Formats: sequence, structure tokens, C-alpha cells
Amino acid sequence: MTVLKQQQTSGSRSETRRRGSPRGSKWTPYLFLAPAAVFILVFQVVPLVQEIFLSFTRTSLLNPTRSTWVGLDNFTRVFGDEDFHRTLLTTFIYVIVCVAGSVGSGLAVALLLNKGFRGRGWARALVTIPWAAPGIAVALIATWMLNPDYGIVNRFLDAVGLGVPGGAILDSPKYALPAILATTIWQLFPFTSVVLLSALQSVPADLTEAATVDGAGRWWTFRAVTWQVIKPTIGLLAILMTIWSLRRFELIWLMTKGGPVGATETLVIDLYSEAFDSKQLGSAAAIGMVGVVVSLIVVAGSRFVARAAEREAR
Amino acid sequence: MRPLRIGLTLRILGVLVVLGVAVFPLYWMIVTALSSNSDLFAAKARLVPDVSQFGVFIDALAEGKALGWLRNSLVIAVGTTVLSIGLGIPLGYALSRFSFWGKAVVSVLLLFTQMLPEALMVVPLFSLFRRFGLLDSLTGLILVNSAFVLPIVALILKGAIDGIPRALEESARVDGARPLTVLTRINVPLIAPSIAATAVIAFFHAWNEYVFAVTFIFTPGKQPASVGIANFIGELGTPIQTVMAVAFMFTLPAVVFYLFAQRHVVAGMTAGAVKG
Repeated sequence: MTVLKQQQTSGSRSETRRRGSPRGSKWTPYLFLAPAAVFILVFQVVPLVQEIFLSFTRTSLLNPTRSTWVGLDNFTRVFGDEDFHRTLLTTFIYVIVCVAGSVGSGLAVALLLNKGFRGRGWARALVTIPWAAPGIAVALIATWMLNPDYGIVNRFLDAVGLGVPGGAILDSPKYALPAILATTIWQLFPFTSVVLLSALQSVPADLTEAATVDGAGRWWTFRAVTWQVIKPTIGLLAILMTIWSLRRFELIWLMTKGGPVGATETLVIDLYSEAFDSKQLGSAAAIGMVGVVVSLIVVAGSRFVARAAEREAR
Repeated sequence: MRPLRIGLTLRILGVLVVLGVAVFPLYWMIVTALSSNSDLFAAKARLVPDVSQFGVFIDALAEGKALGWLRNSLVIAVGTTVLSIGLGIPLGYALSRFSFWGKAVVSVLLLFTQMLPEALMVVPLFSLFRRFGLLDSLTGLILVNSAFVLPIVALILKGAIDGIPRALEESARVDGARPLTVLTRINVPLIAPSIAATAVIAFFHAWNEYVFAVTFIFTPGKQPASVGIANFIGELGTPIQTVMAVAFMFTLPAVVFYLFAQRHVVAGMTAGAVKG
């Protein structure tokens, strides 16, 4: 709807523009567009089509030019595999906890920083550090902090009597995923909190004041006023965090390689080891497609819900 | 009066805890880099850096490998920044100012490509690069990194151009300026802050990139720092102090630049990623 409206208005505008300037022809937009379009076509669209094709074939990494068409074989085999069910479950847990954890902690931090106090600018800047730090460096320092023998985390846990036996958190099927989740959320919360902070600052102060004057409690004011204003931002962040979590590779790969015994294997990790360890390009592509389709469903679904809500509101 | 005080104290405590959590891992990187061996492996951890160990940074650089890695990362990152902005400005301009057949397709494509994981694309890109002789070259990495960061760059710049009143362009057109001249003389200077923000995003996208670099580069001398540092993980030959010193030099530029461009970067990323 809105897109259509926009196009109509800008269309009529470019009508006048064309009459106003004889040198801009109807080819002008394509000239601006062409270099980038060729680029995206060559480096994104063509490889993607190739990858889709691969997912219907049996192809070995060792002899990638020889593909045998196997139809939906890769998909049926992958979905029939117990290990893949576990991968799906791990991915699901990873995404849900990342989204809830990063948005929840981001909101808490944003509320903390929303009131004015001395040094707030500094606090705000320092909080962004985890997000700015390169993923490789984060994986490195996290691995060192979790080192079984000399890592500061184990020393601390031992000191307060909560030590993991043997101390090898990243080698433990029970604790590896929580450790990876904690590292991921640590890296994401600055982003969500800065975005939510700017949303909070658009909450009209007179509205919250009016609510307080009317004798509303803090919780009620939050739900009736603040929450209503930041709800769209929360939704937007949830989608963004979902897409990012479904794509995230290097943090998990460098910390655990998906181990121990598959405890931290998400779809992307599974696809990479299927391609480069098992050398099966076909089933690797099939696994990758599952992830892309999940992303697509999330984005399309959320747009659908948002539009329905918009219609409701009208 | 009393409950207000308690509330304030709790708030300050909360902020301090958050800051501690945010900063500690990087602080720990410095402490580890600046520790003597005896401190590092002592029964009780040393919690403050030992400044007398500062030589570790000079040693790490003098050793030569690290300096080469950082140089390669710099080449890749500068190349990616220039190329993605060079392509992103005209694309953003076309999307903002013109209506044309296929515009909706381009917009959807820009959103869709942001969902593609690098790990998925690495296989077909490998065969593409082999065909064009782009394997084991920094140029290849510049090209692929630009392609992956281009959608977000273009969408941020489109949003910035949307914010410029058309009237400014109209007057230039009345004077007979061509579309390209209008873009470079009128729009580009006005969106300079957004260009700076996208430059930070593009630069550090390439600076941090790992999957393509580790798969496409074979010659050790051409490795960027992300690959060099990642190889330290699980390797025991290099002293941990050197490892942390190199990692810190790799991290510091990213943190400094993001602190400066923070507001623009965050606003741009949320706007570009979803609103389209």
C-alpha cells in the first residue's frame, strides 16, 4: 500500500523532473544503478542460484565439477537424520535465547541510562565497547577467560564455590552452549540498548508525568505509556537479532567448532562442517537452505503481523 | 527524601555493574598482555596490568608477522570501504530519487541478501573465484566483502538522501546541471555524516571478516589479522601475552572509531536493515 503510494508520488515528481531537465532520460536511474546491480548479481545472486542447484545434487568437495542430480534426496536424508534434529533444536534454543537475552538486557540497560546523571555520556560510550570489538577478538578473549587451568572465570567460580569440575566449560556438553550464549549476548546488548535508548528518548515526557500526577504507579506508567512507544522498536530488534543469530558463524566456530558432541552445533556450523569436513557440498547446501528459509519465514511473517496490527489500529 | 536516595544509589550501582561487565573482557586482554609469566600462572590471579611489561607490544610488532597481518587487513578494509561507498552512493541515489521498472525487485533483493550467511556462500564463491583467478588475492577479498556490505551501505545512504529536500536539487537542475553533477555537488556534501558512518561500517566489516579470508587465502604472507589471530586459538606455541597484545592492537581501532560514529552507525543500521 504505502509502497504503491510512494511510487505514485515520486513518479509524478520525476515526470516534472524530466520535463524540467532534458538531459535526464528514463535511462538515468539505470545508469546510477548498473554498477551496484552487476556487482550484487555476480557476487550474491549467481552464487546463491548455484548453491540452490547444489542442494539438489550429490557433489563432493574433492571433485566439485561433477554433480549428480538427486532431486530432494538431500533434504529427505537431512530431515531423517537424528543429529540434524538436534541441530535444529540447538539453533532454535540459540536464536530464542539470543533474542530474548539481548533485547531484555538491552532494555534494562537502556532504562538505567535513560535518566540523566553526571557522566551519562561516558557510560553510554563505554557500554558500546562489546559491540564494537571484532568477533575474532571476542572469541579469543572469551576462550582465554574460560581456560580450564588459568582462566579468570574458573578462578572466580572456584573462589565462590561454584566451580565446574575440571573447569573445562567449553568442553562440557552441559555448559558449552550457555557459555557461547553468554558471550553472544555480551556482544549484542550494547546494540539493543543504544537503539532502545533512543526510542525511550522519544517517549513524551509530559505523558509519563501526567500518568504519575494521576497517581499511576511506575509499573503501570511503563506499561501504558513507555511500552506502547517502544513496542515497534522491540519488534524490529527481535527480527534483526533473529537474522543475525541465524547467520552467526565465527564466534561459535572458533570457540567450540560446534562441539562437544554437537552441543553447540547451529545450522551454519553444521553446514560448514558438512562442506569442509565431510566434503558433502550437496547436503551442506540443503542445510544452508533450511536456515535461509527460516530467516525468510521470520521476516515475511513479522511483516504480515505488523501489517495486520496496522489495519487493526485503523 | 529517603526512598529517592535509595533509588539513586541502586541506579548508580546498576550502571557501575553494567560498565564493569561491558569493559572487563577488554580490560582483561590488556592485563593478560601486560603480565609476567610468574603472575600469569600463579595460584592467585593478578588483577591489574604490570606496566613494566609494556615491551610485549613492541616485541609483538617487531616479530614482523603481526605487522604484515595488520597491513593486509588495512588494505582489504580500505579497498572495501572505497568500493562499497563508490557503488552505494549511486545506488542509494537511484532508489531515493527515481521511480523505475524493477525498483521493488532491487529493494527486496537488498533486504534478502542480508539474510545470507557467509558460510553458505563460501562454496559457490570459491568456485567462482577459482574461475576468475581471484583466489589467494587481497583483491578477491575486497570484491566479496564489498558485495556483502553493499546492501546496508546503500540503504543507509538512500535514507540519508531521502532526508534532503528536493528543492535544493531542482534549483541546480534549472541551472542545467546533469544528474551526476547534482549528485556529486549537492547531495554528497550534504550526506557527509552518513557517508562517514557507512565508511566505519564498511571498514570494520572487512577488518573483522574471517570466513572468506580463511578459505580464500593460502599464502601465509597474505593473511589478514582476523585469520592470524584466529589461528592463535588452540595453538600453544606463541606466548599468551604476545597473542593478547596483537589482539588488542587489532581491537583498538574498531572500538575507537565506533565510539566516534556510534549514533549514526546505530541509527543507520536499524533504519537500513528493516525499513528499506
